[in-house]
Amino acid sequence: MGCIVTKAIDFLAPRMVGERFSGHAIPLEVLKDLAVLEEMVIEVAKWHYYNKHPNRKRLPRGFTDSISVKLTEINEGSAVAKLVLYVALTLLPLENQECYEKARNSIINAVNAAQFNEAITQHLPANLLGYFDRIGRSLRQDEAMEFNPADQARPASLNRETRKKLLCLSQERELTEEVLIRGQIPEFDQEKATFTLLLKDGQRISAAAPQQHFETIMEAFNGFLKGGKVSIQGVGRFNRMSKLQTFDTIEHLNILDPLDVGNRLLDELGELGNGWFNGKGSAFPKAGLQWLTNVFTTFYDDSLPLPRLYPTAEGKVQAEWSTATHEISLEICLLTKNGELQIVSIADSSSDDHLLQLDVEEDWHTLNDLLKPMLGSV
Amino acid sequence: MKPETLLLRQVHPSFVQNGQFTSQVFRPTPKDEDKLSVYNGDMITPEDSLAHFVNTPNCQSVGVVAITYNDCKNQSLDVIADGQPFPEHAYIDFSCLEKSAIEKKAKIMKRCAQDRGWLFKV
Repeated sequence: MGCIVTKAIDFLAPRMVGERFSGHAIPLEVLKDLAVLEEMVIEVAKWHYYNKHPNRKRLPRGFTDSISVKLTEINEGSAVAKLVLYVALTLLPLENQECYEKARNSIINAVNAAQFNEAITQHLPANLLGYFDRIGRSLRQDEAMEFNPADQARPASLNRETRKKLLCLSQERELTEEVLIRGQIPEFDQEKATFTLLLKDGQRISAAAPQQHFETIMEAFNGFLKGGKVSIQGVGRFNRMSKLQTFDTIEHLNILDPLDVGNRLLDELGELGNGWFNGKGSAFPKAGLQWLTNVFTTFYDDSLPLPRLYPTAEGKVQAEWSTATHEISLEICLLTKNGELQIVSIADSSSDDHLLQLDVEEDWHTLNDLLKPMLGSV
Repeated sequence: MKPETLLLRQVHPSFVQNGQFTSQVFRPTPKDEDKLSVYNGDMITPEDSLAHFVNTPNCQSVGVVAITYNDCKNQSLDVIADGQPFPEHAYIDFSCLEKSAIEKKAKIMKRCAQDRGWLFKV
């Protein structure tokens, strides 16, 4: 049996931008996005071929079978995924190879058009834009995938904003996106394996209940009347008004601690509007609450009990711990990122005050060390 | 006022998490100018104080907690029954205290109120 000679062509080197990609690493969930690229490149190449040969009914032999896009290495530079096009030389004439190169350029040009508010569909038709439903959906708010990073002026940056523009012009009626959402479970049908997630705004989301999460869903369902909540992480399906319709997949489903930091800060304090405190008090900046959630989740010692979190009339967040012997507070300024820790002994009314800089990891260790003797661990 | 006179405080809904209220309930906010308003428990019931409070535009309360006149004295805080802007009004005077001292006293008073429990809850 003769072997097919293949040629490797450097094809695309998308640069992943964002904290998750530092240390030139790409999370597996993002690799799923890259995997869809091969499918898209082939379909765009077919589109170019038929554009060039409008009278042809079929593709030439080997047009789609003899190529593959492979991730060969991840280079430095906030993680650059080097994608190589492997073509079987005997089956893919040069002319057809050009279709693939045009396909790559069309994708880059379409993303650039989205980034710079230009006409997107002059580069790709609406049906092919639908591929962006699966490419880039794992990107978070501050992340991007630059398809042409070598061109600093026009890097073809796919982020949540440009992806949305591309998808708006596609024929997709619904869009999917990675989602992390919290809510309650008031309904669970074991026979049909479906459940309902009740969101804080009253919206009800019906979804399939994956077998591996049955037990957790049941526990959340039983805790509904006591206000028990869950967090769900997975791929959500949204309508064009960005309203969540259901989940395509549920990767993680967890019962929330009643004092869950994200739930309290983002869902409860984040909802407070101007004048929330008897006509005084300002709404909290979302970015500040997100920052606090992130640092708390990352640096607060998870063996310690969670604090209660309260808004203050001055626009700060106050964390409080109460033990048999001490009352402890940490008043956090979302602007300066500093925290005023006060530990009061109930027995003798003595207090111990510390000023911490909460955007400095070391100060979180100090906080944990100061709390440990009083709070113990859970 | 008697040593055991209850000084009633309204608790804002955002100042409760998982059934427990914050020490801020006993700390004056900037608008208070170091005078923490209370209802004189000798003159009004907790339930009526809440009804009176939420009748004021924009004011919310999910319940009433209290410290006593004696609790304040133990913290070297004066209580003034000024009867303004309504007869049952009094205030706890935090003037001349540093922020840290105010917060410390607020924590101790919160503990006193917590031990006493909710006097009325919506």
